[in-house]
Amino acid sequence: MSKPTVASDWLCGCAGCHMSILDIDERILQLVELVDLRATPITDLKEPDEDGVTVGILEGGINNTYNEEVAKKMRERCKILVALGDCAVFGGVPAMRNFCGAKAALQRAYVDAESNDSEGKIPSDPELAEMTHVRAVHEVVPVDLFIPGCPPDADVIFYALTELAQGRIPEIKNDKLHWH
Amino acid sequence: MINLKIDGKNIEVEEGTTVLEAAEAAGVYVPTLCHHPQLTPYGGCRLCMVDVEGARTLQPSCTLPASDGMVVNTNSEKVLNARKFVLTLLFSERNHFCMYCQVSGGDCELQNRAYDEDMTHWDLQPNWQPFEVDASHPFMVLDNNRCILCRRCVRACGELVGNFTLGFEERGADSLLVADYDVPLGESSCISCGTCVQICPTGAIIDRQSAYKGKEIDVEHHVGVCTECSVGCQRDVLTRDNHLVRIEGDWDAPLNHGLLCDQGRFLPLEEDRPRLLTPLVRKDGSLKAATWEKALEAIEAGLGKGKGLAALASTRLPIEDLALFKSLFADGLEAELVTSLEEGFPTASLAALADATSDPFEDSLDALKDTDAVLSLELDLVEDHQVAGFFIKRQLQDGTKLIVADSDENKLADKATLKLDFKSKFLDQLLDAVENGSDDDGINKAASILKEAEKPCIVYGEDFAAQADEKELQALLELKQALNATLIGVKGNANSMAASQLGLDSPFKSNGYQSAFVMLGDEKPTQKLVKALEEVPFVVAQAAYGSQLTGNADIVLPITMWAEQSGTYLNMDGRLQEAVKALDAPDGVLTSQEALLKIAERLGIEPETDWEASLKSRVPTIEIQKA
Repeated sequence: MSKPTVASDWLCGCAGCHMSILDIDERILQLVELVDLRATPITDLKEPDEDGVTVGILEGGINNTYNEEVAKKMRERCKILVALGDCAVFGGVPAMRNFCGAKAALQRAYVDAESNDSEGKIPSDPELAEMTHVRAVHEVVPVDLFIPGCPPDADVIFYALTELAQGRIPEIKNDKLHWH
Repeated sequence: MINLKIDGKNIEVEEGTTVLEAAEAAGVYVPTLCHHPQLTPYGGCRLCMVDVEGARTLQPSCTLPASDGMVVNTNSEKVLNARKFVLTLLFSERNHFCMYCQVSGGDCELQNRAYDEDMTHWDLQPNWQPFEVDASHPFMVLDNNRCILCRRCVRACGELVGNFTLGFEERGADSLLVADYDVPLGESSCISCGTCVQICPTGAIIDRQSAYKGKEIDVEHHVGVCTECSVGCQRDVLTRDNHLVRIEGDWDAPLNHGLLCDQGRFLPLEEDRPRLLTPLVRKDGSLKAATWEKALEAIEAGLGKGKGLAALASTRLPIEDLALFKSLFADGLEAELVTSLEEGFPTASLAALADATSDPFEDSLDALKDTDAVLSLELDLVEDHQVAGFFIKRQLQDGTKLIVADSDENKLADKATLKLDFKSKFLDQLLDAVENGSDDDGINKAASILKEAEKPCIVYGEDFAAQADEKELQALLELKQALNATLIGVKGNANSMAASQLGLDSPFKSNGYQSAFVMLGDEKPTQKLVKALEEVPFVVAQAAYGSQLTGNADIVLPITMWAEQSGTYLNMDGRLQEAVKALDAPDGVLTSQEALLKIAERLGIEPETDWEASLKSRVPTIEIQKA
């Protein structure tokens, strides 16, 4: 039997959760014994295999039309979708902008900020994705496992991945559960 | 008695017990949020829902009275699902973002309850409607985004403190926690007692001073008596790495049951006086840093003894220090004057009365918590001794009558049923009115209020004690008798009564003293004291902080402030309570006691250290007991 496959991607997050994945350190050797690590932001392969993976991991909330596409693609191509970290689970820090709206946030960042010169303007290009309300992943696609934390502990990530690799659904509770 | 079954356990409880209380008694844990042991059950959050056999729906256990034969289940699937659903609704009602909330990580009851239910997320979206954040108050921030509408703060503000500042405007999802009629908290009628901060289960009302300075997992607790005044509230001083983090009231304290005032909770953390860290000795006209040895040498050379020496001690200091001080200066150095900085004003006349009658005549402060008529004499419990004032204020809405008799402005008077002018012979007139009626409408009304009351209470303060003559005090005792009233003497600082017991209660008059020793502790010297000492040629000051007084002194000894020393305190109603050291003192800084012992050793005096015996050398105005 071939090893289960894992793919990950990041959306509107800070990459901290992926850093926390790397924080499992040398245990990554044990992990690759159990699973086949496929597409991730830090490997050469960038998109989950067309014929699907066992576990898909998403870091970050969904803040634009591109994030929506990535989330939907991951959902289509994985059996178990994991929302990793507070942004994926709750929307996180980027979701603070929902209180004023994307337009006001862009205006503040690109035009009004004290550090901008007088020529500051909001980027606009047809190739740029359209900004939306920031949402948790489960508000866009169904999620099977939630691992909150800002970021989640490396120990918890290692525990969850090894459980998933062995066909079990990890129990995120007690000392493995925190939202900050 | 009532018999019921909770999760298979048979339990017998008294009639009137709620199902929640019965469950607690049976050792069954039921999660709660809006419930608080010090508040009337409210039934607002629905987290404590339980399954009662035969009931159509789940019932909130905090408001449900236990009844005979009741069969209750607290952990059926239906209950567990309801709990998660309730929590989900609470989270999605407002905007809860744990990752940037200061109470996240153990200090948030909402988060803790969700963790208990293994919630990794909640299924509904947050509200996304931004709610107001009110940061206008110097000590608190009020953030409606994190409010769960449990109304604990509102209930505490009214039920416990009697201030009724906090309330809700609008209804349902629009409900908004506001101060008064929706004014910024910092401009409201808030008295900064901080009970709302302490009782808030989430980060909706947060403490500015301790923000991000340490959570429950980081801090050490030091529970002891507050040393700010004679009420003697129990408080918990939270420290981290030898720094003050926050002060909280002790919910389990029989006297103050969690309450503190701004002076006990917030102001000690606002200390900004310069700290004294080394002994100072005046040389060639100016104060210079010196070693303890040099300072002691200078004290030996200049202090003198007997006539011409005055010694004054702060009544904020522990009894141990005061007793040692008295022994050293009265017995050892035979100083002309040995007294406290309060000079006996809050206590001396009353202590003399107890001396004369050999009978303690005052009553426990607990009487003030359950009274239907209060007569307040020359006492503003809004300004000082505030927690005693809370006991009165919170009863007023239930019909307790308050008569304020004061010769001056009095902030409690706004809430009084009757405000009278306190003049000499007031008590004589009142006594006469109680017995025979009076032509004076006000006095007559006061007399009839007190006569009609079942548990009248007369409470008086320093201004009354300082001016009362024997005749007036006799009238007070006769009034107590005639009305079957309780008498509560509020006194002054934390150890006013102890100073009185030790006989440190003589007035300090400029008397041509040649030298003076002032054991100031961390007290702020008054202008009157500074002025009086200017006339004394040689002054030794023992102080934690620099002041005009230490600046004028000839020798200054650096000593500990309140948090750096342990010791015993005798509060206004005779409770002996311990203050607990919370911080290590800076190097080279001694406690007042250690400094006194050094001086005694230097002068070859062996002072008496049995303070308990000294405390009993005089009939107290109220029985002394270990709390």
